[in-house]
Amino acid sequence: MERQKRKIAILIFVLAAAVLMIGTIVVKSPGSSESIGELMKDAVLHESNQVSLFGLKDVNPGLISAMVITGVFLVFCLIVRIFVIPRFRIVPGKFQLALETAVGFFDRLAVSNSPHRNGFLGAYVFAAGSYIFVGTIFELFGIQAVTTQGTSISLSAPLSDINGAVMMGCLSYLVILSGGIAGNRLRGVGRTLKEFSLPISMSFRIFGALLSGALVTEMVYYYIFLSYGLPILIGVLFTLIHALVQTYVLTMLTALFYGEVSEPAHKEKS
Amino acid sequence: MPLNIDWQQILLHLLNFTVLFAILYFLLYKPVKKFMDQRVEYFKKMDEESKEKLAESEKAKEAYEQKLAMAEEEIREKKKQAEAKIREAGDAKLRQAQDQAEKIIADAHKDIEEDRERMLREAKSQITDMVVNAAEKLVDQSTTSQAFDSFLDAAERGEADE
Repeated sequence: MERQKRKIAILIFVLAAAVLMIGTIVVKSPGSSESIGELMKDAVLHESNQVSLFGLKDVNPGLISAMVITGVFLVFCLIVRIFVIPRFRIVPGKFQLALETAVGFFDRLAVSNSPHRNGFLGAYVFAAGSYIFVGTIFELFGIQAVTTQGTSISLSAPLSDINGAVMMGCLSYLVILSGGIAGNRLRGVGRTLKEFSLPISMSFRIFGALLSGALVTEMVYYYIFLSYGLPILIGVLFTLIHALVQTYVLTMLTALFYGEVSEPAHKEKS
Repeated sequence: MPLNIDWQQILLHLLNFTVLFAILYFLLYKPVKKFMDQRVEYFKKMDEESKEKLAESEKAKEAYEQKLAMAEEEIREKKKQAEAKIREAGDAKLRQAQDQAEKIIADAHKDIEEDRERMLREAKSQITDMVVNAAEKLVDQSTTSQAFDSFLDAAERGEADE
């Protein structure tokens, strides 16, 4: 009986998939006004597909994504702070364990890489890590926005926008610099400035990584024959793995350099 | 700007991230970390308490073992004392019994001597009485008072001889 039910369920699923597949072929797409080249160029530069920010300014969709993510975080954090954290127990439940694992991971990252000074670093890498991870995953949801030209676009990851990536890279560099100043005063500044290429490398590393994912996704959805099955692989490879890897890379680099420049200078033994 | 870099948008991103940082820090990171630290403290305190209790119990065990050793020593000592006392008491009783026995024997000897003397005295008295009686009977038989007197004299002499 159970087996028969399972067979029926599989049959219904296969039929529905077939109907949808035929539907996507039969129903004609209005077609894209842009070529794949233009589309990709716009994904990088955002010259044409801009979104109005409350009518004040036309901005890249990445900024809107960033604000949506901040809103989502605000709601989530408020719910957690009001309803979950007061009920925390010594022996944690599943959700509490997940929260503690996330906080503990970034805290340990800060402590292990910068043992002398890590209070602010832990909070920063936690915020940056959460932002990068959720921001990259956000791309998967395909939330729509209307451009200034009246067309709809799906909101991309905030860090696939060059401005977002530059902000992240430069801010991380400033945080490292602050650690150097707090730990070693002028010597710390010197140590940080020695790594002058860091903000550029950090910015473009994260920008390049996330942009590549966005471009591949754009290309896959541009051609109808690539849109069957492949997005599953693309979604996992270019979104989930990117989310994890980029989160780890940026937070690790920041913690590592922060620890290096804030480490107290050792007096050389004569 | 190359790559459509817009400083205004960078600052907007920065503002957005600063707000996000504040939200995450005050609503999530700080309270969760505080709870985790409290738990670490709780377990550290528990660990310290258990170590203290363990040390206390070790001390108590040592003290108990010492007391036990002392008590055993005391018991041995008291046993020795008790045995000595018992021995002394036994000796005293024995001595007392011997004294009593000696006294009883002495008393018995004395009584026997007294009895013998008393019996001798009584026998003497009885013999005297018997002699008197016999003399009286003789007096009764001989009418002369002279004969009686001579008999009495003879009897008195005989007594003195004895």
